[in-house]
Amino acid sequence: MAKSIAQEFKKGLWDEIPPFNLVLGLCPVLAVTKTIAGGIGMGLATTFVLVCSNLLVSLLRKVIPPKVRIACFIIIIATFVTIVKFALEAYAYDLYNELGMFIPLIVVNCVVLGRSEAFAYKNKFAPSIADGLGIGLGFTLSLGAIGAVREILGTGNLTFNILGQFKYEATEIFGSSFEPFTFLIEAPGAFVCVGLLLCLMNIVGKK
Amino acid sequence: MTEPFFELMFAGIFVNNIVLAQFLGQCPFLGTSKKMSTATGMSMAVVFVLILAAVFTWFINNLLVKHDLDYLQIVSFILVIASLVQFVEMFLKKMVPPLYSSLGIFLPLITTNCAVMGACLINAGKEEYLFMDCIINALAYAIGFGLALILFAGVRERIILARVPKPLEDASIGLVTAGIIALTFYTFQGMV
Amino acid sequence: MKELIKMVVVLTIISSLSGGVLAYVNDLTIDQRDYQNLINNQAPTLKTILEGASNDPLESKFEVKYGPKKMKCYVGVFDGKPNTVVYETYKSGYADKVYVMVGINLETDKIVGIGVTKHTETKGYGADAKEKPDLKNQFPGLDIMQEFKVKKEGGTIDAISGATITSAAVCKAVTEAGIRYKELKPELETQVKQFSN
Repeated sequence: MAKSIAQEFKKGLWDEIPPFNLVLGLCPVLAVTKTIAGGIGMGLATTFVLVCSNLLVSLLRKVIPPKVRIACFIIIIATFVTIVKFALEAYAYDLYNELGMFIPLIVVNCVVLGRSEAFAYKNKFAPSIADGLGIGLGFTLSLGAIGAVREILGTGNLTFNILGQFKYEATEIFGSSFEPFTFLIEAPGAFVCVGLLLCLMNIVGKK
Repeated sequence: MTEPFFELMFAGIFVNNIVLAQFLGQCPFLGTSKKMSTATGMSMAVVFVLILAAVFTWFINNLLVKHDLDYLQIVSFILVIASLVQFVEMFLKKMVPPLYSSLGIFLPLITTNCAVMGACLINAGKEEYLFMDCIINALAYAIGFGLALILFAGVRERIILARVPKPLEDASIGLVTAGIIALTFYTFQGMV
Repeated sequence: MKELIKMVVVLTIISSLSGGVLAYVNDLTIDQRDYQNLINNQAPTLKTILEGASNDPLESKFEVKYGPKKMKCYVGVFDGKPNTVVYETYKSGYADKVYVMVGINLETDKIVGIGVTKHTETKGYGADAKEKPDLKNQFPGLDIMQEFKVKKEGGTIDAISGATITSAAVCKAVTEAGIRYKELKPELETQVKQFSN
């Protein structure tokens, strides 16, 4: 093993943090980050699918013939996505409503299929889980950060409540005279906001 | 058809533009927009695959609903789309090799192009849509995708000539540009 | 040849496993999912429509088959008679589906009340259709067996300003409820009898 499991985990959190360093899987990034709760919820759902599919793909990597590997990956991923969809619908209905069509679309998130293909199919299951977890949490963090920026600047408030467990609420962060940039919540604002954050990442990441 | 042709087309191309209003298909939108020729090729491929996928998934969805197998929707849709893309890829490789080599890595990525999957899911979600509605809707979305991509590629080709601050280069300035294009499409909101 | 067989076998096994797992998860969660939908979307609307009923509408329900799908119907008992049924229909609005619950009196064929249960329309525009009573208050007392249209389309219903599409979708959904009612009335009448006491 070239890298330790800890390293595999860590790389997803900074070196290869999606969506910033690989400009892949941008659709959910733009669509569900109107609020921090949507961003984190989407990130966690994606993480679950990533870890499970990575685990299964790496366990089955000797059985799956190379020629039909993509088809197998897709079936495995789609199965877990359906499970997540049902689970959210049954136990986290608000989140389910907020994410809407983007839950089934995790299936076509390039990040998920990309990890199966590039990592899990070539590695043992322990590093594969670490890889899935790392990339997934990196994705969650990015989505949460974008969601937070858009929610704070776009509405002036910040609220989140995941499964009734983690509650946080702050209203009128900048005082009552603050006029929110509603632009950031609308579709065009999503592009501009992610673009500028990407630029910020470039400045911070530059050696 | 349950809705007038023009309304459906206009809504699909401009108001609910699949890339700029519904955030679907971002990967090829940013990935293949650096050159006009690639952008045109990608748009063609998406138009072709999207319409074929709409036809197939319409039949499959009806079959699933009829037999109470809704829970297989995601799995079966993605499999149909994946096989279709494979087919288009083989077709292009044999018939139009230059286009095949210029689309490169992004052709297999149509599989993971959420524009295709998304359009099929939207169609499946509108249960009162008849066959023709679905096809027209898919056509409108595909044209909308092509329009957005080609407009974007046109702007991006010029950005190369401009002096962009270092940290903003590439994807970053691309996204900001896309935001401004999305702003122009945003004015269509509420028209249909 | 051997490789081909292996490919087919592996794909078949994985697909059937996936189908099996999903069928199991579907069975496992379907009650909870229906319950969530009921609590979050339908219950408040249902209670407003059937206000004053002597039974608990959430508990008095039955299913009828309409086309390929099952439709849940809720029953309201007024003056000891189970004479009102409520069920949900939908139509596409501006961005997504608009779900509308319609309560119909089986004896007079008249609308008792309607309510928008679920929609994902733009906040502040279409969303008003759910919060503002202006639209839904126009329906009670009207005969269900007719086509409802907003004034802009040559009908009689006043649309909420700025939410014409959503208002039109609500009208279409109520019309759809009427179409179903025409077809299902005999069955509905037999089914509600089980709730008379």
